[in-house]
Amino acid sequence: MRFWTRRVVFYVITLWAAVSLNFLLPRMMPGDPAAIMIGKLRRASGGRPLSEATITSIHALLGTGKDTSLWDQYLVYWGRMLQGDLGVSSTRYPASVGDLIADALPWTVTLVGTATVISFVIGIVAGAWAGWRRGTWVDQLVPVTTFLQSIPYFWLALVLVAVFSVQLGLLPIFGGYGVFEYPAGPEWSLGFLGSVVVHALLPATTIVISSVGGWLLGMRNMMVQEMAEDYVLTAEAKGLRPSRIRRAYAARNAAIPSLAGFGIALGFVVAGSIVTEQVFSYPGIGKLMIQAVQGLDYALMQGVFLVITLTVLAANVLVDLLYGFIDPRVRRNG
Amino acid sequence: MHDIRWRKTIPLVAGAAALALALGGCAPSGTQTTGERPLRVWSGSMTPIANNFNPFAVDTAAHLTFGAIYEPLFFFNQLSAEAPVGLIGDSFEFNDDGTVLTIRIKPDQKWSDDADLTAEDVAFSLGYGSNRDPDTVSIEATDATTVIVTYSSPKFTAASMILGATFIVPEHIWSKITDYMSETNPKPVGSGPYVLKTFTDAAYTLEANPLFREGAPDIKKVQDVGIDSNQSAEDLLKTGELDWVGQFVANPDGVTGSGRVATMNQQQDPTVIMTCADAALGCKGAQTDPAVRQALNAAMDRASISKKAFAGLAGESSPSFALLPRDEKWLSDPSLATSPQRADAAEAGRILEAAGYTKDADGFYGKDGTAIELDLFSPDGWTDYNDAAKLIAAQAAKAGIRVNARTVSEAEYWTPVSNGDFQLALYGLTQSLVADPFSNYDQYFATGATAKVGEMPAKGQNYARYSNADVDAAVAAAGATQDEGVKKEAYARIQAQIAQDLPYIPVVLNASQAFYSTAEFAGSPTADDLYANPLPYLSTASAVILTHLHPVEK
Repeated sequence: MRFWTRRVVFYVITLWAAVSLNFLLPRMMPGDPAAIMIGKLRRASGGRPLSEATITSIHALLGTGKDTSLWDQYLVYWGRMLQGDLGVSSTRYPASVGDLIADALPWTVTLVGTATVISFVIGIVAGAWAGWRRGTWVDQLVPVTTFLQSIPYFWLALVLVAVFSVQLGLLPIFGGYGVFEYPAGPEWSLGFLGSVVVHALLPATTIVISSVGGWLLGMRNMMVQEMAEDYVLTAEAKGLRPSRIRRAYAARNAAIPSLAGFGIALGFVVAGSIVTEQVFSYPGIGKLMIQAVQGLDYALMQGVFLVITLTVLAANVLVDLLYGFIDPRVRRNG
Repeated sequence: MHDIRWRKTIPLVAGAAALALALGGCAPSGTQTTGERPLRVWSGSMTPIANNFNPFAVDTAAHLTFGAIYEPLFFFNQLSAEAPVGLIGDSFEFNDDGTVLTIRIKPDQKWSDDADLTAEDVAFSLGYGSNRDPDTVSIEATDATTVIVTYSSPKFTAASMILGATFIVPEHIWSKITDYMSETNPKPVGSGPYVLKTFTDAAYTLEANPLFREGAPDIKKVQDVGIDSNQSAEDLLKTGELDWVGQFVANPDGVTGSGRVATMNQQQDPTVIMTCADAALGCKGAQTDPAVRQALNAAMDRASISKKAFAGLAGESSPSFALLPRDEKWLSDPSLATSPQRADAAEAGRILEAAGYTKDADGFYGKDGTAIELDLFSPDGWTDYNDAAKLIAAQAAKAGIRVNARTVSEAEYWTPVSNGDFQLALYGLTQSLVADPFSNYDQYFATGATAKVGEMPAKGQNYARYSNADVDAAVAAAGATQDEGVKKEAYARIQAQIAQDLPYIPVVLNASQAFYSTAEFAGSPTADDLYANPLPYLSTASAVILTHLHPVEK
């Protein structure tokens, strides 16, 4: 019981620290969001004089009034957080941050989540195989996949688009679904679902290609190590089928460290893949984040960071729990 | 079409890959008849597009709000010196001292909800929200088609603003809206050629307005999509999925090579080195000495900057800040037509030595033992600006002037620029929208448009903190008259001063490339008939072009 209490206290403190950091970080960024917005308005309105009232309302909107102290802002911030009110985005004024995130989240989770799972499964299976057949040609998988992983993602995506979308015309170039075929937006139909799948293929492929190498390498090395263990030797001596030794003995133990890594990777799924979303104009959280940072949109930035922080924490809790169950040593020493 | 295709393919679907091939091969347009095919445009919006059709939200509303849905009274073509074209308006005239503006509108116009559009709506709009000029004395609709506006000061030079950039809204709707800034206006009722059909955060579609005063336009549907990268838009143009974009493409031949897409490159907005010019207003650094700015001006190799940093697509800028050849008649001195295109390090050295600077052991000029060291910054990721800054630094070094080019995040760019806390910044000015450089002088060079360092200008964009009594007097004189002779004389004084003082050192004229499908749609502007600038993100001009287009008969 003591283990669980300590865990819970630890997570509550982490949560508080994370949410407070989330408040501080944007305010430590250089630049004044009001100056940016006023400058934009100036240029956009072609020199029409901005009234004093407009300037005041922009300052009020962005919460950059110089008369409120940081502490007061902090209290207001917590009050809003506890009510689940994430505020109003200034770059997409007057859309609410909650709505923007809610619209983007499903896309990110589905695309990056599926891609992460696929990449993990391929990496583990191929890694186990490569470890089992070490010293043969299968070992070539390691340099090949790590090479693919080292290609700059941006470039890889552009090349794939140029070949499969522009040259061959097989796959769509941008978007989360066919905006030309479905101008009215998402609908519940097979055709639309197909469109979503087709649009996810290329982004997902690029994510898998650029991440599978890590899983494969880790799994292969663990596999080689496990194969040298005494219990594998014993199993072989007892005459168990090689496929059974591979799957039920070596691979099972070799996968444990990777599973921990997978838990963390799942936590980062929500952060999206900024470059993927940018290259493919794919709707998602990563893009919101980068636009918020560029436009100094504090409310949006905080909302996105909060969601990311919470999921990473949740993934940690999950991994912790799993470990506690799987490995009794962790429970006793923790 | 999708349904049929689906029934055929379902038995084949073995996995996502098979599905991809089936649907991917199902090209989006092929079988639709030309009349139904929407014109697909990318006006520069990134996803998610904000659901905002408020014409007062100049920065955040969807682009086609301006012109296609809501219209101003007249269209001022920024490419020509011809008289403005009437949209809602029919004619306008000022009284002799420019304080009374009489506007006549076309009769029998309708809003898209079938209500009548009358002079009352125009009068309401001119006095509503941020449209209201602070100098307004009275606005009166004297009959169904006439509005008389009285101001307390001459408004000759504000004509393009009042008549060409004030969007007319229906009084019966907007009089009930209390907070015009936070309104999102999701169901816009306007007078323009199009009405909103559907909106999603990935794209929105407009359809022809049957009540439009000239009848519904030939292009029945227009879809404006959100795209996050220029590369995607370029690819979509090549594959024929997108019909109209305005964006930078380094190799335009790659897009137009197929013969289905045409391009036009209008060079308009000056890219300059903005200097914090006036020490009296709080600027610090060697650039407050005009001699240093003149030396920099001479040291720049603009031809190579244009070629290397701007892909050879930029135009030659003029130190008079008049746009040539459009503003030809306002250019006082032919020697001010273009800035020197080649570097002249010797000339730069002469200017500095005449001003008392001497070279130190390292070959850099300085005065009283301190070498000139200037900081030139540009926003990270604006690659053309970043490259130009590096080239300028290298060219200045050859002439013995130390310039350090650095990049900052966009957030860090705007604050020092608007507060005056900088020495040199690469900056883009907005060209005057009419064939008269007045607004350039009034916005960027007049003392009234600036502020002390540490404060933001309350009106205008004179971030260079330039202050010159001669220029101020000439700007005031030019703004108070319609007499060309008086104006020319005033502009001559301004041009002589600013070309000498160089608070903004011209670099190039920015390229603004437009690409449009000629395979699907005809009627775009051509070099011989520049009836509007074909950039889809320009307000009003984009709508004028949409009404000129028609589907290609096949």
